[in-house]
Amino acid sequence: MSENIQFSPWLDSSQKPYIQIQNVTKKFGEFTAIDNLTLDIYKNEFFSLLGPSGCGKTTLLRMLAGFEKITQGKILLDGEDISEIPPHLRPINMMFQSYALFPHMTVEKNIAFGLKQDNLPTNEINQRVEEMLELVELTDFANRKPNQLSGGQSQRVALARSLAKRPKLLLLDEPLGALDKRLREQTQFELMDIQEKLEVTFVIVTHDQEEAMTVSSRIGVMDSGNLVQVATPAEIYEAPINKDVADFIGDVNILKGIYKGQNEVGTQLLSEDSNSIVFATQEVGASIEDEMWFAIRPEKLEISKTIPSHNHNILKGKIEDIAYGGSFSTYHVKLDNGRILKAIRANRERTKEHHLTWNDEVYLQWAPHSAVVLLS
Amino acid sequence: MNLTQTNPNFFKSIFNGRNAVIAIPYIWLLLLFLLPFIYVLKISFAETIYARPPYSSLLIWGDSWLPSIKASFDNYLFLFSDSLYIKAYLSSLKIAFISTILTLIIGYSIAYSVARAPNRWRGILLMLVILPFWTSFLIRVYAWIGILKTEGLLNLALMSIGIIEKPLMIMNTDLAVYIGIIYSYLPFMILPLYANLEKMDMSLLEAAADLGCRPFKAFWTVTIPLSIPGIMAGCFLVFIPVMGEFVIPDLLGGSETLMIGKVLWTEFFYNRDWPVASAVAILLLAILVVPIMLYQRSQEKAIS
Repeated sequence: MSENIQFSPWLDSSQKPYIQIQNVTKKFGEFTAIDNLTLDIYKNEFFSLLGPSGCGKTTLLRMLAGFEKITQGKILLDGEDISEIPPHLRPINMMFQSYALFPHMTVEKNIAFGLKQDNLPTNEINQRVEEMLELVELTDFANRKPNQLSGGQSQRVALARSLAKRPKLLLLDEPLGALDKRLREQTQFELMDIQEKLEVTFVIVTHDQEEAMTVSSRIGVMDSGNLVQVATPAEIYEAPINKDVADFIGDVNILKGIYKGQNEVGTQLLSEDSNSIVFATQEVGASIEDEMWFAIRPEKLEISKTIPSHNHNILKGKIEDIAYGGSFSTYHVKLDNGRILKAIRANRERTKEHHLTWNDEVYLQWAPHSAVVLLS
Repeated sequence: MNLTQTNPNFFKSIFNGRNAVIAIPYIWLLLLFLLPFIYVLKISFAETIYARPPYSSLLIWGDSWLPSIKASFDNYLFLFSDSLYIKAYLSSLKIAFISTILTLIIGYSIAYSVARAPNRWRGILLMLVILPFWTSFLIRVYAWIGILKTEGLLNLALMSIGIIEKPLMIMNTDLAVYIGIIYSYLPFMILPLYANLEKMDMSLLEAAADLGCRPFKAFWTVTIPLSIPGIMAGCFLVFIPVMGEFVIPDLLGGSETLMIGKVLWTEFFYNRDWPVASAVAILLLAILVVPIMLYQRSQEKAIS
């Protein structure tokens, strides 16, 4: 690659945000769906709104599209306040979760629909439709009706239709939710390619954390109407802000600890589970005897039958369950106090015989920089 | 194979529970539609005689052991020789067509507003549409006489607020017939339209708006095309029965209101010409076969 510049406009203070969501609140009667939310999204970002169902992510997306009126606050697109602009006048297009293809129109007509609303000349419409069909590789399906398409094809028609008008911003509501796993993974990469090629800003809503991790430049993790953390996928995964985020993104072991101060290695915690001191390189501002947590991802736990030479960051247990996943195996290790931790080990050798088996006494250890200390 | 053994099995296979259930509608149609139809068809080929029943027999038992058939197309030819019948058919078609269109316009707006009403209101609104069925059709048409006649409710109301000085002559005109038909058949238009509009995916309208379509245009390019099955069903459910309508033109219409249903009644009860009346009925059915088949096809299309 000739260019190896990290795309991170949010770190560059000279960059102007493209979409500014400013102190937006949305109420449905008494219920507050979005609670004083502020968020900046930059041009050409692939931004994911991630969260459990009912967290308000879809409401936020629908406010960007103009389908929900903002109760308080405002939304700016490219510096212009769009809060009061009705959906049909916004330079924003949306790909619906149900795809919402017009069942009485052919694929071609569906894609041309938005262009016709702009009263473009016929030859230009045809040319753009052609381009879009090529982009999503559906040229042969131009004259099909939506009910003659497979799920994956419908998804691509919906994408082509929402991109045909070359929107400033494309909103995607659970775009891959209806596809099976294999197709979903393939489509994720296609989406990224298309996004790069067309240089459109994407905001996607998803509850699938893997999907968010794969496609996004940044992820906004939402919970009960507000953003909990906004960061790159790697930051969210490796440095979650609290237990909820750590738990929501990927698998994690969360252990309780009592703060015992700092030393040259880092933070010292007394683990409740092992009743021994554990170290974490991360520094925290806390006072002695404060209660906190440390989170370790399963793949960062090393599992072995031999006693480690050092005496910190060790937990002893027994293998309770093994989930063989082909490329890796997940071990459920039961600690003496009954807690179960997950450890993942890559199956590097091609063998049916694994050294570890049920009821084996094992030691779990991890490097001080592998654990994240969480205050809440 | 032994006959004595296969026979019980054979009967068992025919008179099983499933066939018995399926047989009910067939027997119903056979007894209440097909047999009367054949009977009427038979009469339409007969001649009028002063007797009881007032038509000649189709089969003449002569000297030979086989009866001879005595059928004539005279009744049908008569329908074409007298312009009254052609005019009545055409007038019925015209009235049925115009009232279907008017019922569609009114029915669509009602069905649309009910379908888009808040959920808790829909049941009540739909109930109000169906409510008139609780009163006899005949009584409701009679009630319109009270409203439309010269010294009726409508005229009294309009005169008392000073909009008109002289009473409107609506009663015994085609206008009264149209009012009666539209009123009576409106639920048949609303119900299929409502069923269709209610299940429409609202995200399609959002998609249209998202793609830059104004709400009014979205109505014409998305809502209307998608409700065509409902429009077809409603129109045929109104058009077909209105075509043969008798009570409404008889009670509300005037002497100049010509409808084939009224002609049929006159032939049958006034002229006691059963064969011609039967021919009128058969021809009416023949005319209606076309829209009935179109209706069937549109329904099949809507299902698939």
